Amino acid sequence: MQYEVDIGGRRRQVSVTRAGDRFAVDVDGGTKLVDVARIDAHTLSLIVDGVWPIDVTLAPAAAGGDLTITVGGIPIPVTLNGRRRWGRKEDGGGASGPQRLAAPMPGKVVRVLVAPGDAVRARQPVVVVEAMKMENELRAGRDGAVAEVHVREGMSVEAGALLVVIQ
Amino acid sequence: MHKILIANRGEIAVRVIRACRELGISPVAIYSECDRTALHVRLADEAYPIGPSAPRESYLRADRVIDAVRRSRADAVHPGYGFLAENAEFAAAVGAAGATFIGPSPEAIAAMGSKTAARAAAARAGVPVVPGTADPLPHEMPDAEIAETASRIGYPLLVKAVAGGGGKGMRTVSDPADLSGAIASARSEAGAAFGDAAVYIERRITRPRHIEVQLLGDAHGTVVPFVERECSIQRRHQKVVEETPSVAVAPALRRAITSAAAAVARAVGYTNAGTIEFLLDESGAFYFLEMNTRLQVEHPVTEMVTGLDLVRWQIRIARGERLDVDPERLLTPNGHAIECRIYAEDPDNNFLPSPGRIQHLRVPGGPGIRDDSGATAGLDVPIFYDPMISKLVAWAEDRPLAIARMRRALREYVVAGIRTTVPFFQWLLAQPAFAEGAFHTTYLDELLRSRNGHPFAEPTPELEQLAAVAAAIDAALSPSSSGAAPASDGRNGSATRWRAQARAEGLGGV
Repeated sequence: MQYEVDIGGRRRQVSVTRAGDRFAVDVDGGTKLVDVARIDAHTLSLIVDGVWPIDVTLAPAAAGGDLTITVGGIPIPVTLNGRRRWGRKEDGGGASGPQRLAAPMPGKVVRVLVAPGDAVRARQPVVVVEAMKMENELRAGRDGAVAEVHVREGMSVEAGALLVVIQ
Repeated sequence: MHKILIANRGEIAVRVIRACRELGISPVAIYSECDRTALHVRLADEAYPIGPSAPRESYLRADRVIDAVRRSRADAVHPGYGFLAENAEFAAAVGAAGATFIGPSPEAIAAMGSKTAARAAAARAGVPVVPGTADPLPHEMPDAEIAETASRIGYPLLVKAVAGGGGKGMRTVSDPADLSGAIASARSEAGAAFGDAAVYIERRITRPRHIEVQLLGDAHGTVVPFVERECSIQRRHQKVVEETPSVAVAPALRRAITSAAAAVARAVGYTNAGTIEFLLDESGAFYFLEMNTRLQVEHPVTEMVTGLDLVRWQIRIARGERLDVDPERLLTPNGHAIECRIYAEDPDNNFLPSPGRIQHLRVPGGPGIRDDSGATAGLDVPIFYDPMISKLVAWAEDRPLAIARMRRALREYVVAGIRTTVPFFQWLLAQPAFAEGAFHTTYLDELLRSRNGHPFAEPTPELEQLAAVAAAIDAALSPSSSGAAPASDGRNGSATRWRAQARAEGLGGV
């Protein structure tokens, strides 16, 4: 079986074939022999190339993406077969293109600190969302101008809701 | 005392249930809508729904909690911390309902619950307080007058909620131009969090340590202080790491600060568990900050080095028992203990809350490790409450060993499905300044600023490759992939079961 796996903007071709009671996985120009045992509904124990034991947890991603794979205590967003994922990487904002600032969690908008047309600097707070009893400042990912404001004070927002667009 | 209603949720409700069980007392839980599946509900003997998920409609509704007390015929109420724990009217209402409030008297809560009144009480007991306004700022006070008061106290200063705690409703002001904005936002946050928008001003001591003293007082006039806790590792005024003893407190200072704490408690006739917080400045002088008239989040570290069970003692004191403990033992720590507060927050995204379902949970264990948690796999961390999911505590013979043990335990801790602060703690405990104990209450905020958003948990190319391998294997085993070889031997038989389970879980349908 051949899969296309996208991690952090890098796309890999990964092929998986059974090799006796293990899997032979071709990735990045090499072959890994992987022993797989299921621990629970979300967790696999892998032993890679016969010596490296490591637990891997696979869960549907929180922010509407594909999968979050937790390995070595580090959550890694993964898209399989080119499915579109949108989450932190995009809304973090690069140096070019509009930044679409989305609510990272459900909550209530307590303050909107910018209006369309305002100039903003990277890391400048633009919206304050109250969730889990704390006021959380959401900041601009880059320098630019506010193009759109989609929320007003007092509004409840769901995770992933578009708040502000910065050009 | 046969039945105790726990007027709380989460890890602290579980903690109190455990103490009840060990005393042969029946624990009663209350729960909001979203907490139906919470661990504290499942561990209790009885459970009463008290309303919708928002705290103001459930855990803060004293009338509904009292109704559950009546219906369950509980003879005592343990308030935990937060919610109604420091609400004098609630404590009085418990008494009026014929049950015992496991905590201080309503009068003591009222006296110490107002930060301004508590400062006055400390001053009367001869304990130094941080310079500041004696009373809350009147709402109608003109800005010019506030500015004048502030400049008399001196900048930098803190605007603090009179009913405050946990850094909520608190603002640091260095520039007089920011003062009125800070007061407005502190009032708004305090009003939302505590239902009381009153604030006052005090001078900000530069680079202080936060040192606090746990106390127990019985109904027979005995008050005993415990060895200090150091809680200087704070992020935005919220404690994130606590330890005991403090590297900054030598035996003579310990005598002085614990005696001062006991004097304040005696001055207000304090009973049950409480904590007096102090600021320790760079010259070694200490100032009364406030008193918390309840059990503290960080009480486990004190339990680890003294061997006492503070919750059990809270219950025993409420039953009228005498505190027959050797005071010297409480001031002589056995070894060292550290606590890390594990939060459902994303440290790589400005510590924003990360609610959601815990898909997988592996809790560390082994020598010297204690995990006080209300979380289980399959449970949703709700958006409505404090995002703390667990308190991880490490004990060892000395501080370096306790740090090593904590780092080992953090390596073992796996929480998948939500982001947590585990990677942040792995980084923090590896800092040289942490190893030396060279910190103060703004150390962490300064350190975090200097990182400039650099991620705590950065996958290595090796781990990314492994994630790609795991994703592909998972997909190959999923029911919709036709290419997987059919099961034949025993090993593949387990793969078949695995596919069936994946199907049942709705997993891997890629």
